[in-house]
Amino acid sequence: MSSNGRIAPSTLSVKDLPWQIHWNKDKCTLCGHCTAVCPVHAIELGVYRKRVVETSVGLKEAPSNVYQVYHGIRQKTDPAYACVGCAMCNLVCPNDCIMPFRSDEADKLKYHINRGGQPRRRGGRRNVPGGILDQIKFIRISMLTDPALDAGRHEFELRTLLGRVLPPEEDLRLLNEEGWAPPVREIYPLIIGGMSFGAISPNMWEGLQMGVTYLNEELGMPVRIGTGEGGCPPRLLRSRFLKYVILQIASGYFGWDEIIRDIPEMKEDPCAIEIKYGQGAKPGDGGLLMWHKVDKLIAAIRGVPSGVSLPSPPTHQTKYSIEESVAKMIQAMYMAWGFRVPVYPKISGTTTAVAVLNNLSRNPYAAALAIDGEDGGTGAAYNVSMNHMGHPIASNIRDCYLNLVKLGKQNEIPLFAAGGVGKNGNLAANAAALIMLGASGIQVGKYIMQAAAGCLGSESDRCNICNIGLCPKGITSQDPRLYRRLDPELVAERIVDVFLSFDTELKKIMAPLGRSTSLPIGMSDAIGINDKAAAERLEIRYVV
Amino acid sequence: MDIQNQQSYWIAGKEEGRRLESRGLEERIQQAVSEGHHFLKVKAYGQHGIGGRLWRAGAEPVYLEIHGSPGQRVGSMGFPNTRIEVMGPASDDVGWLNAGAEIILHGHATNGVANAMAQGKIYVAGNVGARAMTMTKHNPHFDPPELWALGSMGDYFAEFMAGGIAVVCGYDTQDPDNILGYRPCVGMVGGKIFFRGPHKGFSHVDAKLVSIEDQDWEWLVKNLRVFLEKIHRLSILGQLSNREQWQLLVARGPHEKASKPRRSMSAFRQEVWDKELGTGGLIGDLTALDRTPIPVITTGDLRRFVPVWENRKFVPPCEASCPTGIPVHERWRLIREGRVDEAVDMALAYTPFPATVCGYLCANLCMQACTRQRANMVAVDVKQLGKASLDAKLPELPALAGHRIGIIGGGPAGISVAWQLRQQGHEAVIFDMEKTLGGKLTSAIPKTRIPEAILNAELERVRKTLPHVHLHQRLTADDLKELKADYDFVVIAVGANKPRILPVPGKERMIPSIDFLRQSRQDSAKVGKRVVIIGAGNVGCDVASEAHRMGAEDITMIDVQEPASFGKEREDAEAIGAKFRWPVFTKAVTEEGVELATGELIPAGTVIISIGDQPDLDFLPETVTTERGFIVVNDMFQTTDPQIFAIGDTVRLGLLTDAIGAGRKAARAINDMLAGKQPRVDTRQMIDYSRIKLEYFDPRSMGFGDIEECADQCASCGACRDCGVCVSICPQGAISKHEKGSEDFEMVADPDRCIGCGFCAGACPCGIWNLVVNEPLA
Repeated sequence: MSSNGRIAPSTLSVKDLPWQIHWNKDKCTLCGHCTAVCPVHAIELGVYRKRVVETSVGLKEAPSNVYQVYHGIRQKTDPAYACVGCAMCNLVCPNDCIMPFRSDEADKLKYHINRGGQPRRRGGRRNVPGGILDQIKFIRISMLTDPALDAGRHEFELRTLLGRVLPPEEDLRLLNEEGWAPPVREIYPLIIGGMSFGAISPNMWEGLQMGVTYLNEELGMPVRIGTGEGGCPPRLLRSRFLKYVILQIASGYFGWDEIIRDIPEMKEDPCAIEIKYGQGAKPGDGGLLMWHKVDKLIAAIRGVPSGVSLPSPPTHQTKYSIEESVAKMIQAMYMAWGFRVPVYPKISGTTTAVAVLNNLSRNPYAAALAIDGEDGGTGAAYNVSMNHMGHPIASNIRDCYLNLVKLGKQNEIPLFAAGGVGKNGNLAANAAALIMLGASGIQVGKYIMQAAAGCLGSESDRCNICNIGLCPKGITSQDPRLYRRLDPELVAERIVDVFLSFDTELKKIMAPLGRSTSLPIGMSDAIGINDKAAAERLEIRYVV
Repeated sequence: MDIQNQQSYWIAGKEEGRRLESRGLEERIQQAVSEGHHFLKVKAYGQHGIGGRLWRAGAEPVYLEIHGSPGQRVGSMGFPNTRIEVMGPASDDVGWLNAGAEIILHGHATNGVANAMAQGKIYVAGNVGARAMTMTKHNPHFDPPELWALGSMGDYFAEFMAGGIAVVCGYDTQDPDNILGYRPCVGMVGGKIFFRGPHKGFSHVDAKLVSIEDQDWEWLVKNLRVFLEKIHRLSILGQLSNREQWQLLVARGPHEKASKPRRSMSAFRQEVWDKELGTGGLIGDLTALDRTPIPVITTGDLRRFVPVWENRKFVPPCEASCPTGIPVHERWRLIREGRVDEAVDMALAYTPFPATVCGYLCANLCMQACTRQRANMVAVDVKQLGKASLDAKLPELPALAGHRIGIIGGGPAGISVAWQLRQQGHEAVIFDMEKTLGGKLTSAIPKTRIPEAILNAELERVRKTLPHVHLHQRLTADDLKELKADYDFVVIAVGANKPRILPVPGKERMIPSIDFLRQSRQDSAKVGKRVVIIGAGNVGCDVASEAHRMGAEDITMIDVQEPASFGKEREDAEAIGAKFRWPVFTKAVTEEGVELATGELIPAGTVIISIGDQPDLDFLPETVTTERGFIVVNDMFQTTDPQIFAIGDTVRLGLLTDAIGAGRKAARAINDMLAGKQPRVDTRQMIDYSRIKLEYFDPRSMGFGDIEECADQCASCGACRDCGVCVSICPQGAISKHEKGSEDFEMVADPDRCIGCGFCAGACPCGIWNLVVNEPLA
């Protein structure tokens, strides 16, 4: 703002902004890299006038004014151009002279990013640090009581089952009668959750798939990845790599005509079909892929015309109840692949999860239940949905598991947990905690974005602009000028690194428990927490 | 020394029919050794730890022969002076933590043989159980430990082996297909393993097969003989001495381990990924777009943003706010270029009164809007330029093309429209009741406001150019009909000459300001000592100044609201001591003066009313719609009768510049319509003030000495002043000036150099450069 300009209610000072650009005039070489790279135009070249009143000592001569004009980097304070803290400016600066800093003051910008009556929407994450999963400790360390295992030396079978596991007598009966038994997959317990082709850039998507395929084919790790609801490239559908893929169907039904028409061409069955009823990023809300993101490529994969907005409503339009969804959709999806592919629903974390689970437990076709807790999410959503809607995953998965225990079906219908797993970087510890609370496996999305592609999003609301297609790392953009910054091969490498190191860490947790060949699903005597209320709620040991 | 020829000392593991516990047997053995017995024969009954720690013999060798069934840890913590021979098989952990003893087993051994052994040798005449040779060390002060086995190894052989030599002869093995057991060598960091026979893999991360060098082979053959002698199987030496059958495993070094052998991702992409999916990978069939990696800072098509040189795309604030529409900044540019005459002459293309209006009478909206004012800097002084325009030369007028336009009213509006039309080659005839052209300029503007000579000079210029029909009677509706028939278009510019009068008692005592000003201009007005002026606008202020000039001493100006007067008029009225009162409401005008609604009387000899004038429009045909006494027009001043235009105060009371501007706009529309074209409308928008960088100018400059100084201080909003800042600031050196003909030029950014940083836009003083989103890639 000019020094004598007017102020409006939304006129902010740099001090009011959550991210403040510190620029060092002495070090700057005015190369233009920072302003060229800034995704939101938060900085620009500014013209500055410097005044010096030259006054002689002793006042022997009349003082004079000397003006100098210099150029430098200026931060805009218009809320529409507020710095998002991505620090790309610093990344490209040859002289280390520019850097965004988080304000030491409460963010005033948040009161103003609702222009035109449109509440803030953003990509990414919940923006709430902490979380219960990090507080859970693994307290059962085998000290001469169980066979103490060596994570480095012993062999581990880190596998979980995806699919309906029948009671042994039922299984035997079907075997004898040669009846139909539900398909079950033996897979790695850490699954890359569904992030759609469209929400994610082509290079990122390919990198993820390539990494997963490498893990399977080169390293023998049966890692699986969800497609999200953007359809699936036909080449992948017709390749043998399809078996590493969990196809998602959601309320937008995008790309399903392509999938259906490709069924006769498929060399392999997909790992599973996930029916999305809800997601952690925006529990109870739908999605909208904006028209400008629907380029020719996205349109081709989703089977829609390009340049139109693509809504995924919060609900499936013709499904009015979970009973109906179970009856209609699960059965229909089984039929598509001749009852050879497990089908399971994914819901947002909710107090009604137990009701859903009870319903599924009575349906022999329900292969699993995936619950996406409030703390996660890679999708674009309203701020309010992201920060305030949904149910934490820990007690949700615990309630479901204990309910299965009550039914005596805890080994029959696997639960998959997601939502904030690894949000503070402790992926294996969080995953192990959820497994011991009762999850058969973990879905992870956000962590993968951060670890495999360098997503800058953070709980302190850094970046989080995935929703407007400006991802400075090229992860969530459909603009080739951005996504070509990302090399699919390097993403794939990182996926491999992430899974190998996760594997080691999970072994480091499991070995002292004396477990090496089966996951400690529901082994809640091995975990404790130093929060009495949480301990009581989760029915685990209170330790101090 | 052949110790076996000595007298042996017999220790039984059972005394009086009772088995000794391990502690008892250990005590007896240690006792015997310390008593000097160095050849012991022990009958074992499962006691543990037999044969270790026999240091009490000092440097003397000790030989221990074990019969029966020894328990676990035979030779554990064995000393270098000790040789142990077990005459049959042995239990777990033979030679655990062995520090130098030689241990010979004539049978098989169970698990854990040689675990953590650092020195000494263990010879096994049979097969070995699991976890043999694990955690072994090689202390550089001593020879490495050795484990020899005639048969095979059990599972997990050589885990964490950190030194020593293991030899697996593969003779008469437990599992003929695998003599090294399951998962050998995990965590192996040192030592070597000679083996002879098939295996089912080992930890490739930790160990590797190497060829047996001559030196190794010599060692092996030499020591194989020793081994076979110790276990009394020398007969098979020949059978085992086939070099071809032996292999050698050694630990990988730390640096070798780092490179775990696996396919590179790029190889995987080529050999597996693209091979299965097809060229171009996942979506190679759907798009031909190049998806190869690019750097963050890019040029050309890969720039996210590109600069555009938007010269003259936007109207500067001065031009935008000038109702006449004079491009003031263009005139300053010409002056900066030394083309002062052109700058002066240019005015006549826009107004017939550049000196009179711009130089004296105008409120100079251009200066009020000047960007410099936004930063509390003094606006560029247009009055100076206006005054200089007195000498402006009119370009040669074009020949008349045959079209005729009748203009009713010879005031500023009528003159303006006629002036414009004549310059476009149309015949514009002005009809007016006055003898000379000029309207209010000549009748109602006080002489004090403008030197007579200036006004007359400009009027003379007009009169020379424009034909004038002097009407002697008021125009009628029938006259207008005739005009419409005779002329292509008719423009009504009769002004507002009918004074508005308050309908109060004594209204006949009020003198209309228009009449008063006309009289005062001819110095014939008469005023009392005390004057009340009803209506304190700018005309009222003129009245006050004139009344003062004519002799009034006590002047009161009243208004129903805060007076709207401003500028020079207001200042002059205040200077002569006129009192402003508001809000007051007039109830009546009497002999004594003005009686207010409150009952108060403001004494006055003369009461002048100045609450505005209205046009006198009796002559209008029905086809022309009016509203509240004024003619209704559209954007181009066309009335509801398409052949008739109306401008100036007949449409809306305004400034002189409003009247002149209306004339210009109407003339342009008429000209377009005569040419059979859709009338042009200027769609350009005013430039955003924020694009102008006033930091380049001196904020303390308080005024301007001459027009050259004015021109220098003009920021040239929206029009390039060719300062070269963009050329200099561009970090890539991408911007250069391209000449376009002899007069014009443009600034061009080379896409192959430009990175889209926007520095040009940030630095441009005039706000020409803009940074816009690049075109989407196909």
